[in-house]
Amino acid sequence: MNQKKENNKTSLIWYSRLILPVALWVILNLCSADFLLKVEERSHFEFDWFWFTGFLKEPSGLLSWLGLFFTQFLYLPWLGSLLWVLLLTASGELTVKIFKVPGYLSVLAYIPAFIFVVYNMSMGYMVYLMNHPGYFFMPVLGYLWALFTVVIIRKPHNPAASLIITIIIGFAGYYIAGFYALAALITACADSFRSDRSRLSRILILTAAAITIVLSPILMVSTTEYYIGTGWTLGLPDHVHTVPLLRMQGALILAMIVLLLISLLPHGELNGKKYIPIIIQFALLVGIIASTSILWYKDANFKTELRMIRAADNMKWEEVTRILEKASQSQDSDWQPTRVMVTLKDLALIKTGKDGDYAFSFSDGSCEQKRKWDVPMSIQIGHTLGFHYGIPGLCQRWCFETSTILGWKNIIFKYSAMTAILFNNTALSEKFLTKMDNTLFYRKWAKEQRKLVYDRSLMQKTAPYDLVLPLLCHEDRITSDLEGCETFIRRHFTGPSPVHSTPMYDRAALLFAMKSKDPTLFWTRFVLYLDSNNPKKIDRFYQEAAYLYSQQGNSDLLLKALPFDEQTKNLYKSFQNLAQRTGPKDLEEANRIFPANLRHTFFYYYYYVNNLKLF
Amino acid sequence: MNRYVLYLSTAILLMTGCTSEPKKYSESTAPSIYPDFIEITVPSNIASPNFLIEDEAHSYVTVLESGKSKVCIKGRKVLIPLRKWKNLTAQGDISVTIYEKREKGWARMKPFSIYVSDEIDSYLTYRLIPPSFMSYQRLSINQRDLTSFKEKVVYANSMSAADDSRQCINCHNFRNWKTDEMQFHIRLEQGGTVMYRNGKLSKLNHKTDSTISAAVYPSWHPYKNYIAYSNNQTFQNIHTNNTDRMEAFDEESDLILYDLDNNSVSIIENDADEMECHPNWTPDGKTLYYVSAYIGDPDQFMSRGGAAFNNNEVKYSLYYRRFNPDNKEWGKETLVYDAAALDSSITWPRVSPDGTKLLACIASHGVFPPYQSEADLIMFDLTNGTHRYLDEVNSDLAESYHSWNSTGKWIVFSTRREDGMYTRLYLSHLNDDGTFTKPFPVPQKDPQHSLKFMFSYNIPEFTIEPVKVSARELAAFIRSNDAQPVNYEQKREE
Repeated sequence: MNQKKENNKTSLIWYSRLILPVALWVILNLCSADFLLKVEERSHFEFDWFWFTGFLKEPSGLLSWLGLFFTQFLYLPWLGSLLWVLLLTASGELTVKIFKVPGYLSVLAYIPAFIFVVYNMSMGYMVYLMNHPGYFFMPVLGYLWALFTVVIIRKPHNPAASLIITIIIGFAGYYIAGFYALAALITACADSFRSDRSRLSRILILTAAAITIVLSPILMVSTTEYYIGTGWTLGLPDHVHTVPLLRMQGALILAMIVLLLISLLPHGELNGKKYIPIIIQFALLVGIIASTSILWYKDANFKTELRMIRAADNMKWEEVTRILEKASQSQDSDWQPTRVMVTLKDLALIKTGKDGDYAFSFSDGSCEQKRKWDVPMSIQIGHTLGFHYGIPGLCQRWCFETSTILGWKNIIFKYSAMTAILFNNTALSEKFLTKMDNTLFYRKWAKEQRKLVYDRSLMQKTAPYDLVLPLLCHEDRITSDLEGCETFIRRHFTGPSPVHSTPMYDRAALLFAMKSKDPTLFWTRFVLYLDSNNPKKIDRFYQEAAYLYSQQGNSDLLLKALPFDEQTKNLYKSFQNLAQRTGPKDLEEANRIFPANLRHTFFYYYYYVNNLKLF
Repeated sequence: MNRYVLYLSTAILLMTGCTSEPKKYSESTAPSIYPDFIEITVPSNIASPNFLIEDEAHSYVTVLESGKSKVCIKGRKVLIPLRKWKNLTAQGDISVTIYEKREKGWARMKPFSIYVSDEIDSYLTYRLIPPSFMSYQRLSINQRDLTSFKEKVVYANSMSAADDSRQCINCHNFRNWKTDEMQFHIRLEQGGTVMYRNGKLSKLNHKTDSTISAAVYPSWHPYKNYIAYSNNQTFQNIHTNNTDRMEAFDEESDLILYDLDNNSVSIIENDADEMECHPNWTPDGKTLYYVSAYIGDPDQFMSRGGAAFNNNEVKYSLYYRRFNPDNKEWGKETLVYDAAALDSSITWPRVSPDGTKLLACIASHGVFPPYQSEADLIMFDLTNGTHRYLDEVNSDLAESYHSWNSTGKWIVFSTRREDGMYTRLYLSHLNDDGTFTKPFPVPQKDPQHSLKFMFSYNIPEFTIEPVKVSARELAAFIRSNDAQPVNYEQKREE
């Protein structure tokens, strides 16, 4: 009977540990698949010897390489997350096994893994700034290396062998795993005091570990050609722009301290106290779940942006607007989109030819992204905007800028290749496509793109080129984008008209003229729009702008000549009546007063959407 | 014992004796190899020109022959062991025959030669930089031993500053192809001009109240302790729709002379209506060549948007000034080549070691030829005043920075001929008749290096010896020393 109870207790403890990884995997796939995809597209792994040898130049390079190897599987979020969860689980289970963590504290062994989860999943916009190759998987892999180190050092009981093994695994480990290997040596030292080894053996391990910890980074500094930061923290993410070092490294150092503490835990179960183990276990479990839930980055706008960017990168233009529409519906009336959402929405509408009927149907605004550190919009989507808005120079700029600052990434290779193809630069296209050939998941894409390199006639009917070429009709200009990519795009389309314009370009130029609220510019672009698009019926918002500016200029001629819909006239009348009656002072007040049908008009945009902060 | 000798001999024969060379084959056309080393002239001391056979075939055998030496290499990647290559070059010109096994048997591709000529300076120093616009997270000045594949870092910006405050490092330069004296600049974090002279390091700030910027493009005086520099206010813009992705331009530039003994700078040229740049001494140290662009009234020029909006109008011509090294007196400005009048722009004049030739870069406008695909190399014969475009060297894409070997028999130049984006270094030999041989890229251990490497090479400079200060010494010095000010002194004119 007692044995049965004991078995039940053990099962409960075991299941409680199993709940965590299963729940994590489910949550990752249900709630954070877009984030995982973003992590993957902002990494790059090649099956190539030349590329591999680049990682051998400095300690922890191999761990980076391995981290990238696993990161590539996030291309299929279910697979990548499964691998991650399995590694995390292995780290927890092996910790229990190696350090004989008592059952009632076994969830403790999962704390380092939990720290790694929080570290990655609390990243939010930091995902755009991470420049450490393989950073997503590196902590757990480094931790596993640390466990391996402890086991290896534990093996020999002969003092001399212990000394040699510690030094060998220490130096080799430092080269492979950097900081994690050094942390492992400290843990191994602590572990040696729990075992029944001789005093001499302990002293030798301690001495060997101390020598290795002190000397290996110094030796590295004296031999490697690229010395970054301090040798002792190699393998941990370094400074990235304005993100403090503590944010980059603190949690990972903490995880290794926890490992050290675990190695010092007492052995043995709490015999006789029936429910205490279960209570402790579940208390720890609840604590872990609660804190993970609190620290997990859950900003809705961030999620919406990720989905919109992904849809845009995949040329699913209808989906881009659908995602925004869905996101705005779930919010209250004074919800504002971020500029990333607005620029992508405008782009999608231009691509689908719906700009004239839908451009102002969505809430406009400049909602600040919920982040602590500066992440320029150009780094987030400069390449996407530049390419799809038909400004390859802008795309190329941000591809190279991003790759220089943050390293080469799949998404950057993709856009670099597509820009090179657009420029008809075969050699450069081949260079980038060859990089993608060496990947597991993009080689098919590269094969498809290569067809366009050697047969440009295919471009006219192949996405995304089919919808980029019509915007590429502009003459080259030499200019600066230091004011931010959104302002740059607006200035581009409100600048001189191309000599040989296209209907799509004229619609885009008209849209940006409307956004500039410059009537003169509007009329110029409006004429070009009418001329090239020859619409049977003028699109709704173009009518609204024309009607508003005609009214403002008291231009009876225009009011009579242009075929305004009754709906446009009525909307204007209703809008003016309500505006005169209520006279809202700012956008916030107007958002409360005006009903949705009047908020989603050009009139509303013209009068109340002002001083937007552009990026 | 004899049996072992026999085994050993057989093994050596198998390794060196070209047993894999096909006996039966058909003749075929010229092979396609990368890099293109077909019919090139190489220095006798250069590292082996490894290459990749681009033709599709089942298997490949390459035979290299020179005098009594014969080397056979199997496979598509032709990696020539360095020692065997040296044996081949020691015996003169090399004949290369590639056999390709196809469906119908072996085909012998049309053999080609690699001609062996004068030795080249053993070391080449360059900067590795990603082709970015404004960022430079990882920059390094590296030195390559041209006689092998060894490369070492002279200094990397990652050695001194953290990731978020990286330095820009540039303009490494040596005196007379030796490394007892060298300099390079560091911008931003821990900035200054790092000077290494006969074992001593210093860091200087050449900006004074009377000069417009810190020192930029250098030229060491051949025997006096002077360095001529340009001062530049440099900016850059991007193209919206052009394969030439950006424009770099100066809004202001002058020339200064730095006297190392007195630690003072004096103005060489600072005309308000001119922008002067790229100084270069003749070997006798009595003439300074440079380029200068007339911009007219600087206020008017700036009111029209300056070079930022009018860079295509900024055209540099070639000038020189005589100089008295003993008293630092300058002669009058003399126009050598009025490139502006020909609607072009000349930059980077470099006088040959014997002082008879001047190699320069010519483009449609501006002072940064790497960003202009039409940029080419042009050579002046200083003995008779003639010039010619180096058609045998130039490509459809940009040729830019170039340097003479210490003997004047070789040049190295930067070019974007391979893909229009990544700058690569090519070598070419100067023949007795004043023409150059077919240029070829600096050989690499992996023939596909250039295709895979994501950095550009720029500012190639030859030296006859390795850099004598270690990267770690440089980094330690840079980290712990502030740039020292220099004095200003008045210019002396004849």
